[in-house]
Amino acid sequence: MVTHSDSLAGGPPQNQRRRLYRGDGWRTLAMGILCVLMIAPLVMAVIISLKSPSQFTRVPFLPTWPLRWENYEFAVQIISQFLLNSIIASGATVIGVLLLSSLAAYSFAQIRFPGRTFVFYAVLALMMVPASLTLVPSFVLIRDLRLINTYWSLILPWIAGGQLIGILILRAFFESLPGEMFDACRIDGASDWQIYWHVALPLTRSMLGVVAVLNILGTWNNLIWPTLTLSERKMWPLTPGLYSYMEQYYTSYGRVMAGLLLGSIPLVILFVFTSRLFVEGLTSGAIKT
Amino acid sequence: MKKTLWERIWETKTGYLMVVPTLAFLLVFQYYPAVSGLYRSMFDWNAGLAGNFIGFSNFVELFTDDDVFIRSLKNMALLTIWYLIAFVGLSTGVAVLIHRIRNEGSKYFFRLFMILPVIIPAVVLILLWKFIYDSTIGPLNAILIGVGLQDWTHAWLAEPKIAIYAVMFRNFPWIDGISVLILLAGLQAIPVEIIESGLLDGASGWRRLRYIELPLITGQIKLLIVLTIMWGVQEYSAVWAMTQGGPIDSTQVPGMWMYFNAFRISRMGYASAIGVVMFLITLVATILNMRYIRSQEY
Repeated sequence: MVTHSDSLAGGPPQNQRRRLYRGDGWRTLAMGILCVLMIAPLVMAVIISLKSPSQFTRVPFLPTWPLRWENYEFAVQIISQFLLNSIIASGATVIGVLLLSSLAAYSFAQIRFPGRTFVFYAVLALMMVPASLTLVPSFVLIRDLRLINTYWSLILPWIAGGQLIGILILRAFFESLPGEMFDACRIDGASDWQIYWHVALPLTRSMLGVVAVLNILGTWNNLIWPTLTLSERKMWPLTPGLYSYMEQYYTSYGRVMAGLLLGSIPLVILFVFTSRLFVEGLTSGAIKT
Repeated sequence: MKKTLWERIWETKTGYLMVVPTLAFLLVFQYYPAVSGLYRSMFDWNAGLAGNFIGFSNFVELFTDDDVFIRSLKNMALLTIWYLIAFVGLSTGVAVLIHRIRNEGSKYFFRLFMILPVIIPAVVLILLWKFIYDSTIGPLNAILIGVGLQDWTHAWLAEPKIAIYAVMFRNFPWIDGISVLILLAGLQAIPVEIIESGLLDGASGWRRLRYIELPLITGQIKLLIVLTIMWGVQEYSAVWAMTQGGPIDSTQVPGMWMYFNAFRISRMGYASAIGVVMFLITLVATILNMRYIRSQEY
């Protein structure tokens, strides 16, 4: 790699090359300090999460022994219900989003139906409509559809909103695929449904992963909407669940911190298994602009 | 032989069938609420009642007779400007810093670290900072007392003059991982030959940043500016979780005020009007920016 770029650039003098990278020391130090500051609240949470109330009163911010792991045992009982709710709501949403947005994106990209530009812009225009405009009417709609206190009150609006970005990403991808390939399939007698399912979808697996990760991040962090449509707290997903957990046990600091840390784990696990898709998804669109 | 429109529609019927589910969802859960929000903003409308048409009275009341709404707009402007400084300004600095680290190992580590604020759920960070600001047991006051600055301690989220700044300065050191990653992706896309030829012409350090790198990542920076403004206008979950707009409405932002009117005192029409104002603000900001981007491209 290094030799290749050297020969490519015609080999600038060594001192130029050194100048290009001058000052690694203080940069690493500055970034190191930033990272420590960023992680400090989490370190604080870990330390406090292992304290009993009396230990916290005596030494609030430094480790004390014995470590009170029972705080985690307590928190896991309450958090697991919220986590299950989140998996149901975000899981159903992501399946719906992948299905709807891949179908629509395939159609927009590969089938030249009359009016498709108009329909596509009708979809695109909704990117301009912010959640604040639709919050109150959406709530009234969900109430009128008698979906209050069901998971559908989360899943259906989340599918509707989440598919927009999915359509944009997947349409761009389907358009980048060679059109001759699809024509060849059609000449061989394949219907568009068969091409979609057997050719287009398998080719787009990693893009589907990007859309899925983006969608899960979006629904997972939704704090306020579930508190409006679900009056029973035991139905709340993890994000509002953590909020109510902290409200309820505020003075048991150890238990609160244990709960917040446990509640952070699922996204970390998702990240560990999908880190490449994760970064790709977060920075997608950035290269094109 | 030219096909008629109907023949073409019949031939491509699969295309329509494939977008029908998407359109159905959008019509019911996006278009209908959006239109309904615009329409209902002209009603004196409480939950459950049909409501009376009152024209633009809600908007007149918002701007002439609602001090809380005016204050919420000011807070929104303050927070948005701050988010621009933090998410665009600071993030550019951090991205450049990481980009110039030579050691591939530590560079990779810092890039990976920037993902941390993204994978820790936002609510966890908000709640941790709520705890940090706690007036009696919070570590912020404890640190101040520890270094002998007792006079500087505050009930950070409970004093009307201070609470908005406490909300604003949460998440110190304010690094936004997504912004850094987007900017870093832009910096890494710059061909190394451009930088090296710049160096041969004597552009190093500050001048390399100012005349070579920043101009080449204006696309990313503009994208972040639009996203940050839209987010700054809409966002109220931090306020909702930390102060609920209090004390005495000092941390009120438009989203929170809309929420309060709709779901606490059941003024749904009035809340819809607030939603419309927020929509118009983001629309104007986006249009201005699209104009700007287009003028740059040609």
